[in-house]
Amino acid sequence: MFRLPVVSRGLFPAPITKGGAAVTHNVRPASAATAAASNLLEVFVDGKPVMVEQGTTVLQACEKAGMQIPRFCYHERLSVAGNCRMCLVEIEKVPKPVAACAMPVMKGWNILTDSDKTRKAREGVMEFLLANHPLDCPICDQGGECDLQDQSMQFGSDRSRFTEGKRAVEDKNIGPLIKTIMTRCIQCTRCVRFASEIAGVEDLGTTGRGNDLQIGTYVEKMFMSEMSGNVIDICPVGALTSKPYAFTARPWETRKTESIDVLDALGSNIVVSTRGGEVMRILPRLNEDINEEWISDKTRFAYDGLKRQRLTQPMMKNESGQLVPTSWENVLTRVAGALQGAEGKNIAAVVGGLVDAEALICLKDLLNRLNSDNLCTEEMFPMAGAGTDLRSNYLLNTGIAGIEEADLLLLVGTNPRYEAPLFNARIRKSWLHNELQVSLVGKEVDLSYTYNHLGESAKVLQEIAAGTHPFSQVLAKAKHPVIVVGSSCLQREDGAAIMATLSAIAQKARISSGVEGTWKVLNVLHRVASQVAALDLGYKPGVEAIRKNPPKVLFLLGADTGCITRQDLPKDSLIIYQGHHGDVGASMADIILPGAAYTEKCSTYVNTEGRAQQTRVAVTPPGMARDDWKIIRAISELAGVTLPYSTLDEVRDRLAEVSPNLLRYDDVEEANYFKQAAELSKAVNQTVLTDPLVPPQLTLKDFFMTDPISRASQTMAKCVKAVTEGAQAVDEPAIC
Amino acid sequence: MASTAATRVATGAAKVVKPIFSRDLDEAKRRVRELYRAWYREVPNTVAVFQLDITTRQGRDKVREMFDKNKHVTDPRVIDMLVIKGKMELQETINVWKQKTHVMRYFRESEEPRATDFLSKFYRSHDP
Amino acid sequence: MFLSAAVRSAVSQTARHVRSLHQSAARAGAGGIFVHRDTPDNNPDIPFEFTEENKKRIEAIISMYPHGHKQAATIPVLDLAQRQHGWLPISVMNKVAEVLEIPPMRVYEVATFYTMFLRQPVGKYFIQICTTTPCMLCNSDSILEALQNKLGIKVGETTPDKMFTLIEVECLGACVNAPMIQINDNYYEDLTPKDIEDIIDELKAGRVPPPGPRNGRFSCEPAGGLTSLTEPPTGPGFGVRPDL
Repeated sequence: MFRLPVVSRGLFPAPITKGGAAVTHNVRPASAATAAASNLLEVFVDGKPVMVEQGTTVLQACEKAGMQIPRFCYHERLSVAGNCRMCLVEIEKVPKPVAACAMPVMKGWNILTDSDKTRKAREGVMEFLLANHPLDCPICDQGGECDLQDQSMQFGSDRSRFTEGKRAVEDKNIGPLIKTIMTRCIQCTRCVRFASEIAGVEDLGTTGRGNDLQIGTYVEKMFMSEMSGNVIDICPVGALTSKPYAFTARPWETRKTESIDVLDALGSNIVVSTRGGEVMRILPRLNEDINEEWISDKTRFAYDGLKRQRLTQPMMKNESGQLVPTSWENVLTRVAGALQGAEGKNIAAVVGGLVDAEALICLKDLLNRLNSDNLCTEEMFPMAGAGTDLRSNYLLNTGIAGIEEADLLLLVGTNPRYEAPLFNARIRKSWLHNELQVSLVGKEVDLSYTYNHLGESAKVLQEIAAGTHPFSQVLAKAKHPVIVVGSSCLQREDGAAIMATLSAIAQKARISSGVEGTWKVLNVLHRVASQVAALDLGYKPGVEAIRKNPPKVLFLLGADTGCITRQDLPKDSLIIYQGHHGDVGASMADIILPGAAYTEKCSTYVNTEGRAQQTRVAVTPPGMARDDWKIIRAISELAGVTLPYSTLDEVRDRLAEVSPNLLRYDDVEEANYFKQAAELSKAVNQTVLTDPLVPPQLTLKDFFMTDPISRASQTMAKCVKAVTEGAQAVDEPAIC
Repeated sequence: MASTAATRVATGAAKVVKPIFSRDLDEAKRRVRELYRAWYREVPNTVAVFQLDITTRQGRDKVREMFDKNKHVTDPRVIDMLVIKGKMELQETINVWKQKTHVMRYFRESEEPRATDFLSKFYRSHDP
Repeated sequence: MFLSAAVRSAVSQTARHVRSLHQSAARAGAGGIFVHRDTPDNNPDIPFEFTEENKKRIEAIISMYPHGHKQAATIPVLDLAQRQHGWLPISVMNKVAEVLEIPPMRVYEVATFYTMFLRQPVGKYFIQICTTTPCMLCNSDSILEALQNKLGIKVGETTPDKMFTLIEVECLGACVNAPMIQINDNYYEDLTPKDIEDIIDELKAGRVPPPGPRNGRFSCEPAGGLTSLTEPPTGPGFGVRPDL
């Protein structure tokens, strides 16, 4: 029964080929369009014709025909290894089964994906793979999402013929994130290829040979990568599993919520796995435009920070200056009273890096109703010149995926490897495959690819702008130049001058590249998730205004970098902190309003490209914590300036009124006003300083703890310890 | 044509529905009175058995109130059905199949209505 | 009862003689395990620097490969390093990686793959005795015994004076001259236990005996003398028409 289609193909191979040939003969003279189509080859998958490009592998051709070939070593984002042999398929008139992942198709091939020979080959390969694979599925963390388990059920034999002992391999300690049970390894080398190709950290390799071949680092060493956790996902068996997640949940017990990450400005797409109101783990979700299918270690492992150091009850300072828990009624009345009692100019708000757009608009509307316009973000952005008026000024205009089209990249004062690991992975991909030339102005750092270091100081930029630096010639020749400036160097006093210089360079490069209309050169790489939405909604970047006019009532919405301290304010001023973690902001506050973290609310974030995305509720906020926008809405009612919305949809309607792009989810709202920005920036009369441009995150240890959530995370603390003192310094529970 | 005929047949059929017990309104009223009397006599007993914190008078007023609630009903079939339900309640009360709280539910509903304004919802729970 | 005991002893006897494939002495000599552990004589701090002569050789080796493909020189440079240092401690592999500008892991992969790269210390004379079937049939067991008696060490061990290391290997491709041993780069063939005494004595005296067959025959000519091509070869013009 299974063979029926094969037989029919075998009986009439000639007419089909002839028919195919006849069709091409008829069509070819008809139009030039088919000339391009003649590059396509016709192959058959189980007798079903499919047109594929030259050089397509058998496996890809089958995929195109809708037929999944089992595989272990093949991964579409990694180079082809062809060593697991699971993808063996029979091809008609070819004497031996071929490895589908490594074999390019040839014209007229009939690939038999379900023939007796193919099935026998798979069964044989599976038997060999299982010869040395332990039967420990019940205690294996990969159980339930294991490729080997699934495929042995589907293609394997139902009994074993092996009576020999199994090979055992020593486990490696490659850090506090990845647990290795190397006996389970089937040597697909996906992790080795991931480390050397995607992560650019060639720590992993295969040692030994034959039966004794093993994956490891040979020397005792930690896998020092900012995206090491991805090897857990690509490992087809349980050899590499997550240490923090070890033995905590099974995949079928967890509820999956598709959400986005807010711990950097990229907004990587994630899946939050929860069980019983607790986040069990975070996995990546495919989004070709942002994170492909990887996420950084901070995104993946900082989730235990969501359970620690949380603010769960409203708190107020009592007479003795102690923060004591109280009820929402009390605290909101007090806040509303304070806001009502103060004049508009004496009220100010600072928003932090993890705040969602809904809370931002509510807070802005509330303060505007109280006649205050002192709404600031923690992150600076130079307001001289066009400032934040032109949206293209503060976005990563080229887009994350746009880097793949670029041929020249100038990084200014940034370390994308730790500020935006997935963006760096894109740069590395482009550097590896598209001959992207990278140059850097700023402190020299290890970016996992080679680059041309132009100098540490921003003076180099002036030279490039003036055309006296040799790099200006290189830039002039580039077809698709890209300049990426890190948001950290715009925090400096000479931020405006740097921005103006870059604007001039970018405008020149745009003209010389000849793609002025469509190609965008200047990009800003932000470090926090809320910044673009805040600027879109009209927040003032930087807290300078507050320093100059110290307010009586300061509302901190998740502001935890400590850019405003009590010393900056008058003695009797009141600090209200609203947020989810007891961090810098909460410790200096008089009143604490517990809010929700990103896994606990349905809210909008805009990433550094200007792409609006929304998080989803995976778990409920802990204790008495509430959604951020609701807290502000409740305050408004008690303060007598009720905001005209009381449901999420109504808040979003209000968002759309202010900035419609915030509701166009998953779309990048583009902006293109570089010419005007360059003109305006000429008015900036500020000189650049000679200090070197030093991004705040220089090495891997600076990467892990950057925000309230990751600072509260034990896993991240372990990572820092392991990076500084070696993997063996982190003590592990003995259950492993 | 056919549809009007069908309607006529339907209305005709509706008029000659099968009675539950009572053939006309008078008979139904008699059954109601019987039930009322039975309840009236049972009230002092109920107050004693369930140790209710009400007087017999309050109980009887409540019985009357419950009957008055349906005084607009004129369809004998509906009345019959209400009477059946009343009898069931009575039986449950007499046999002490109910508990005190069930009897007292005639006097006050124990569930409070949910708040609808934003603030009350905010104070109550995460998800107003 | 007796029978079963006999059978059991026979089985255990044979079992003891069966040599498992992945425990061959070559592996043991080359390091046995495929992970590195720091020891006093094998750690990243062992000083190593290529000699000036070898640096020139490395340059010549690298120049054989296209630009940007220094990695291709891994095997010859590792070999060079091993010849210079005698074996390959971790620091030597790191040095090779540094010279070739490749990640150390790529060097470890190559060094662990090939059994001829020695990742454990060996003596000055590294003796590999072949005990594969043809040699075994020619009584390699007596050679092995002679070696062990002469050196006072067992297979896989090194003499206390760090002069000799003895390991047992699979076929070295000189079956026609069986039994044979390899000492460093030299093959000593057609051996008898007496020859072993001589060779080791020579080596101990600081001389390297001439490699090759020890029974007087030339290279791999037949052991019982030539059976064909016994006359001297005919000169040019043999059998050609005189008029040409």
